[in-house]
Amino acid sequence: MQAVRRPALSERAPLAPTLSPVPSGAKGSRIDRLERLTDLVLVLLNTRIPLSLRELADAVPGYPPEGEARRQAFERDKRTLRDQGIAVATEAIDGPEQVGYRIRPDDFYLPDLRLEPDEQAALNVAVAEVHLGDPSGRDALWRLGIPSSRPLAPVADVPSLPGLATLFEAVRSRAGVEFGYRGERRRLDPALLRFRQGWWYLVGFDRAREAARTFRVDRIEAPVTAGAAGSASVPEGFDAESALPDEPWKIGEDEPRPVHVAVDALEGPRVVQALGESSVSERRPDGSVVVELQVTNERALLSWALALGAHAEVLDPPEVRAAMVEWLRGFDR
Amino acid sequence: MSEPQRDAGARLERLLAVLTWLAQRDRVPLADLAERFAISPEQLVGDLELAACCGLPPYTPDRLMEIIVGEETVEAQLGPELGRPRRLSAQEGFALAAAARASAAAHGQGGPGAQGGRHGPEDSSPLERALAKLEAALGGHTAVGVELGEPAHLHTVRDAISSGSQLRIDYLSAWRDARSVRVVDPLRLAAYGGNWYLDAWCRTAGGTRRFRVDRILGAEPTGERSQHADGDELSKLSELAEGPFVPGPEATLVRIAISGDHAWLVDAVPVIETSPMPDGRTEVTLGVVSTVWLERLLLQLGPRTEVLGPPELRDLGRDAARRVLERYTPP
Repeated sequence: MQAVRRPALSERAPLAPTLSPVPSGAKGSRIDRLERLTDLVLVLLNTRIPLSLRELADAVPGYPPEGEARRQAFERDKRTLRDQGIAVATEAIDGPEQVGYRIRPDDFYLPDLRLEPDEQAALNVAVAEVHLGDPSGRDALWRLGIPSSRPLAPVADVPSLPGLATLFEAVRSRAGVEFGYRGERRRLDPALLRFRQGWWYLVGFDRAREAARTFRVDRIEAPVTAGAAGSASVPEGFDAESALPDEPWKIGEDEPRPVHVAVDALEGPRVVQALGESSVSERRPDGSVVVELQVTNERALLSWALALGAHAEVLDPPEVRAAMVEWLRGFDR
Repeated sequence: MSEPQRDAGARLERLLAVLTWLAQRDRVPLADLAERFAISPEQLVGDLELAACCGLPPYTPDRLMEIIVGEETVEAQLGPELGRPRRLSAQEGFALAAAARASAAAHGQGGPGAQGGRHGPEDSSPLERALAKLEAALGGHTAVGVELGEPAHLHTVRDAISSGSQLRIDYLSAWRDARSVRVVDPLRLAAYGGNWYLDAWCRTAGGTRRFRVDRILGAEPTGERSQHADGDELSKLSELAEGPFVPGPEATLVRIAISGDHAWLVDAVPVIETSPMPDGRTEVTLGVVSTVWLERLLLQLGPRTEVLGPPELRDLGRDAARRVLERYTPP
């Protein structure tokens, strides 16, 4: 078959501002919804000026005749496009219908990434070898036109949570967010989304408290809503990084206080390896150690100690030791 | 012939992706395209033929997308516009950025939020450069960071894998609550959730074992080459299922009943099955090889978590709590 170079779709004459209706036989009577949607996307993308609903229905086969059914069909199509991340812009126009629609190229296309082949390959490998439990990474590669491989044996398995995409978008576009947390509605100017020690954390500026706050994303309660891009403002010199705690017992609303935990000779070395030498407040002759932890979340501290079983003992302060005893006694009731 | 309304959006998305791909190439084998986009060849041909009827008004042949579906290949003349990369949705942007950051972390490249290589952009790996460009396009700053942790002996293990060296490790086993020295041929490192795992051929045990790197208390090369580093064992590894732990046939199935605020369990721990109970609790089935592990889990979950079976494990939590309580009770 001879390859004939025909002008690209976009090189052909642009749509005239007023369109004559498509001849009724041009496409036949049965239009698959996918076909209507595809034509709609092409028409909306290729128009220089916004098109009214009437002009669109004339240009895109498959819409019901003028009336409520047509309007509803169009609204459904707009929703479908929006669900796929295709934004249909609504703009004021002259004429009886007053509003027109189009897809703005900036909303549809990414600025040219100019990825070199080795950079494309690296992204491909990343998506294939990191298991997120979510296929959107591969979809992203497709959108970018990068070949995608089969999933590889995982080099990292990182959980994906509902709400992460919304939070990511909010951090990226500097939008304020609102969500439920431990039964309260919270407002945050988000600054950082980080996976650390097996959990996703969100760090931001809490305007009501005028301070940095950290949240465990798996504890965030729906609905998560984001404001307009740019609606968040994080104070000058805000250091989100330092608000990200090293240990789970440092994420909390309690007043920070030192807690001492004794760990025996078997588990001691591993605990010190994980927390660092600076956490050690005493080394005992029998090989056990006492570590000092700065705690703002008592529950997290107790949970950590319990994971060590009988190898660890909370020494002080008395109320934390008592809380541990209370917890353990609960098993006997 | 037409699929239900609710799938039209997903089909559109896939069709646009196929068209973007086609617009960048002259001719593509159908089988290839079908596999790449996870669609049956029949469905692909159907959608391509539909697309060949799409274009701009008045939909005369010169205004339609030019797609010629042959026996084994498809050829398209779609022009550069359709081949341009499209704006990513929030979910896609997140998934790509998170995967790239996690991959960088897994290979010891860049910090969790770092831009550029250790010594400057010229020094960056292809992944780091790709990340920089991606993040510039997405808004100019790093919106997501991934840290996989750096247990004390990670670098020693990683170096041993890349140099094919045998290691002697001092390992604190979680299963048996005991410490032992083992000689291993390291095969592969992987990070599951917040922990690093080493799959290695263990000479002491005479088989492939999985070790948690943060439980390695000491590691040094023995001076010998790893004997299992290539070939058989490595390919057998892909049979080792994904996830930190998969109970083998020797595992005991343990059923526990948990309440609402322990929903995190299902994601944090390898769960075989869950099912709702009439009283509002959830029954969770776990594969358990180590009672030590189960004990610790029960201690953390608390007294209201009930072991439903097997019967000999019903008092495991209570007995463990009593043992810990002995440390708090004066003799």
